[in-house]
Amino acid sequence: MFRWFGFVNYTPYTRVADFASWLKDGWLMGSRCRGCGATSFPPRADCAECMGRTFDFVAISGRAVLHSFTEIVASPSGFHAQAPYTLGLVDLEEGGRALAGFGDTVEPATIAIGMPLQLVPSILEDSEEIKVLYRLERPGTEWSRVGSIAAGERVAPRLAATPEEARR
Amino acid sequence: MASTSSRPRAGSGERVGIVGLGHTVFGRRTDATVQELAFEAFAAALADAGLARDAIEASVIAAVPEYHTQRSIAGAVNDYLGLTPRPTLLVEAACASGSAAMRQAWLAIQAGVHEVVAVIGCQKMTELPTEQILSLMGRAGDVQWESSFGTTFPGYYALFAHRHMHEHGTKREHMLDVAVKNHHYGALNPLAMFRKEITREKAAASEVVASPLQVFDCCANADGAVCVILAAGSRARGLRQAPVWIAGMGTASDSISVLRRPSLTGLPSAERAAAEAYAMAGVGPRDIQVAEVHDCFTIAEIMAYEDLGFCARGEGGPFIAERRSYVGGTVAVNVDGGLKAKGHPIAATGVSMTYEIARQLRGECGERQVPGAGLGLTHNVGGIGQYTYVQVLARE
Amino acid sequence: MDLGLTGKVALVTGGAAGIGAAIAVALAREGCAVAIVDRAAEAPAPVEAIRALGRPVAVHAADVRDHAAAARVVDAVVATSGRLDILVCSAGITADATLTRMSEDEWDRVLAVNLKGCFNYVQTAARRFVAQKGGKIVNIASINGLRGKLGQANYAASKGGVVAMSKSAARELGRFNVNVNVVAPGMVLTEMTRTLPAEVLARAIDETVLGRLATVEDCADLVAFLCSDRARHITGEVIQVDGGQYI
Repeated sequence: MFRWFGFVNYTPYTRVADFASWLKDGWLMGSRCRGCGATSFPPRADCAECMGRTFDFVAISGRAVLHSFTEIVASPSGFHAQAPYTLGLVDLEEGGRALAGFGDTVEPATIAIGMPLQLVPSILEDSEEIKVLYRLERPGTEWSRVGSIAAGERVAPRLAATPEEARR
Repeated sequence: MASTSSRPRAGSGERVGIVGLGHTVFGRRTDATVQELAFEAFAAALADAGLARDAIEASVIAAVPEYHTQRSIAGAVNDYLGLTPRPTLLVEAACASGSAAMRQAWLAIQAGVHEVVAVIGCQKMTELPTEQILSLMGRAGDVQWESSFGTTFPGYYALFAHRHMHEHGTKREHMLDVAVKNHHYGALNPLAMFRKEITREKAAASEVVASPLQVFDCCANADGAVCVILAAGSRARGLRQAPVWIAGMGTASDSISVLRRPSLTGLPSAERAAAEAYAMAGVGPRDIQVAEVHDCFTIAEIMAYEDLGFCARGEGGPFIAERRSYVGGTVAVNVDGGLKAKGHPIAATGVSMTYEIARQLRGECGERQVPGAGLGLTHNVGGIGQYTYVQVLARE
Repeated sequence: MDLGLTGKVALVTGGAAGIGAAIAVALAREGCAVAIVDRAAEAPAPVEAIRALGRPVAVHAADVRDHAAAARVVDAVVATSGRLDILVCSAGITADATLTRMSEDEWDRVLAVNLKGCFNYVQTAARRFVAQKGGKIVNIASINGLRGKLGQANYAASKGGVVAMSKSAARELGRFNVNVNVVAPGMVLTEMTRTLPAEVLARAIDETVLGRLATVEDCADLVAFLCSDRARHITGEVIQVDGGQYI
C-alpha cells in the first residue's frame, strides 16, 4: 500500500500504489508507458510524453551517481528525531532521479557530488506500522528480494492500470 | 521553447500604468490581522494615487491561504476593504503570488474589461502554531516522492547551492556577500524587518539550516501587505503621481520537482519569463538599471543574476564579489533590502518588488536611489522555480 | 498435503529427545535438512531416523542459555547447509516446586533454559530471516503457560513468557515475511512423562475430552505444518495440542 512509503507519507492513494508493495519485496520499480515506451523513475501512471494512461512497472538496478546533496538541520514535522540528516539527489543509471537519505554504508565525510551510489530498498524495523523506503548505500551493496523478475521484464500493475481494466 | 505571446498590448492598445503605491512595515505584526494590514496598504495607495475608493473597479488579492486561519482569504480582505460588490479573486503562486496578481490585473486592463484595478498582496505567517508551519515547510516540493524523506524549502535551494559551487566554483563568501549587501540596504529602508547591517563573519558564524545554507543565507517569514493600483493608459495620466508604465510582462512554469530538473544551477522558468518580458519591452538586460530579484536564499540571487542575463552563467559569484549589484554597479539589485532584509511575507513580496521599482523610477528612494533610473525589473519566483514572473517597468 | 518443505534447512533446539526429536524427524520426513542443537552431545534416535530418510542431519552440542553459542551454531548451520529457513525452539526443562518452597536456583534455571534460551535462538535466527526477507519460527510452550498449575510457577512463567515474546516477535517480523507461532501441548507421552505416577497421568487423561494424551507426533505434525507455506497466513498464533485438556 502506498501509505507504507517514506518516513512520513502524505499521499496514501495513487495509481502507482503497487510501487510500495514491490519495494517491500526488495524491487525498485520504474514505469514504462504502454503507448509510447517512455520510462520514468519515480514511476508515473500517466505519460507526460504521449498522454497515455496505461503503464507497466519495470525493475531498475538502482545504480546511481550523486547529483547534489544537503544536510538538513532545521527539520520539518515528523523528522525532528532524525535531524540532522543528509539527503542526496541522484541520477539513476536507467534514467530519472531519486531523492533519499544515506544508509550506514556511506561515510558522511565522503559524500561528494559525482560519487557512485546504490539505491537500496529498506523496511523499517522499529515502526509500529509497515514503512518502506529506499536509501543511498555504497555501490555493490546487496539486499534480498522476494520472488524474481527478469532484467527488463515488464510487470503489469497488480492493481488495475486503468478503470477499464478494473472492471474486467 | 514553448511559444509565448509577445504582443505587447491588447484591448485598448494602451500600456498599463502604476498610479498608486502603499506598503506596510514588514515584520512580526502582532498588532494587526491580515485584513487590517491590507487596509493599511490599500488606504495608503489610494492616498498616493489621489483616488477615492469608488474609482477602484476590481481587486486582485494575493495571499498564500495555507498560512491563514481565515479561509476564503480574498473574500475576507475584499470585504474588509469595503470593496464589495466589486469583482475579486485570490491569486496564489507560492512566493510569486504577488506578481501573479499583478499579471491578472494587467490582463484584465489589457483586455479592456476594467480600467482601474487594485492589486493587494497580503500575508500573515505568524498565526499558525509552530508544528503546522513546520509541516508546511516539509511540503514545498513533490509531496509524493520527496517530502517522505524530510525535504525542506531551504533544502532545495541548498541542493542548488552545492551544485552551483560544484559546477561554477561559486564560494560561500559569494553567497554571504549577497546577505551583507541586502542588509546594508535594508538598514536604509524604514519598511524592512531587519534594519541593521551585518558582516560576512557574523553571517558565516550563524547556524546551518540545510548545508551549505546557514541562517543568514535564508529570508525570514514575515507579516505584511502591499497595494499597487493599476490604471489603463488614459486613466493613468492626470492623477497625483506620474504613472510608472508596465513595459513588459513575462511568465513561465517549470517542474515543481528537482527529480525532473535537468540542471539545478539556473531556473528555466526565470530565463523564459525574462526573455518574454524583455521582448515585450523591446529591451535587454544591459538596459535595466535597477532590479528586484527573488533572494529567498542568497544563492537564489546569484542564480537570478545569471537567469536574467545580468552576467553569464556561472559568473554570478564574481558579480556580487565585484560589487556590480550595488548602487553605482552594473545594475542595482535589491537595494530595498530584498527578501533577506525586508522579510518575506510570501504573497506580499511580488507587490513589494513592484512598489520598490516604481518608487525608484519616480526618484523617491532617497539614500537608496539609483540616480536617473528609467528602466527597472522585478523577478519573482514561486517555490523552487515552478513559477517565475518578470516585469519590466519604465518611467517613460 | 504437500507442505513444500523439500530442501529447506531447519534448526531444532532440544532436538535430541522427546518432542524436539519428533519435530526433527517430522521435518526431515517433509524434506528438510535438519540441524539439532542440544546440551546432549549426541542424538542417536533422531539422527538414525533422519539418516534412514536420506536427509542431511547434524548435531551441535550447546547449552541454549549461552547467547554467543547461538550465533556460532547458526553460523555453522548456514556454513554447512547454505542457509537457514526454519527455527523450532523445543529445548525446555522443568524443576517443579510449590511457590513457597521453590529455590532461587529452580526459578532461575527454568527461566534461563526455557525463556532466555528461546530468546537467544529466536533473536539470532530473526536477524538472518530479516535480511533474507523470509523464515519460519515455531516455539514450543505448554498449556501450563496459559493457565495456573500447582507446582509449576517457574515453568508457567517461562512458557507464558515464550507466548508473549513470540507474539511480539510476530508483530515485529511480519513485515519481513517471517512467521512466528507457538505450539502449546498439554501432557505429552514421552520417555520422561512415562515415569510419572499413574494417578498423575490419569488426572491428565481425565482433563482431556478425547480421553487420551498427546503423542510427540501429534505435536510434530502441527509444527511441520506451521513451518510450511501452507500456513503462510498464520502468525502470532498459539495453538494448543492438548486433546481439550484446557478449553
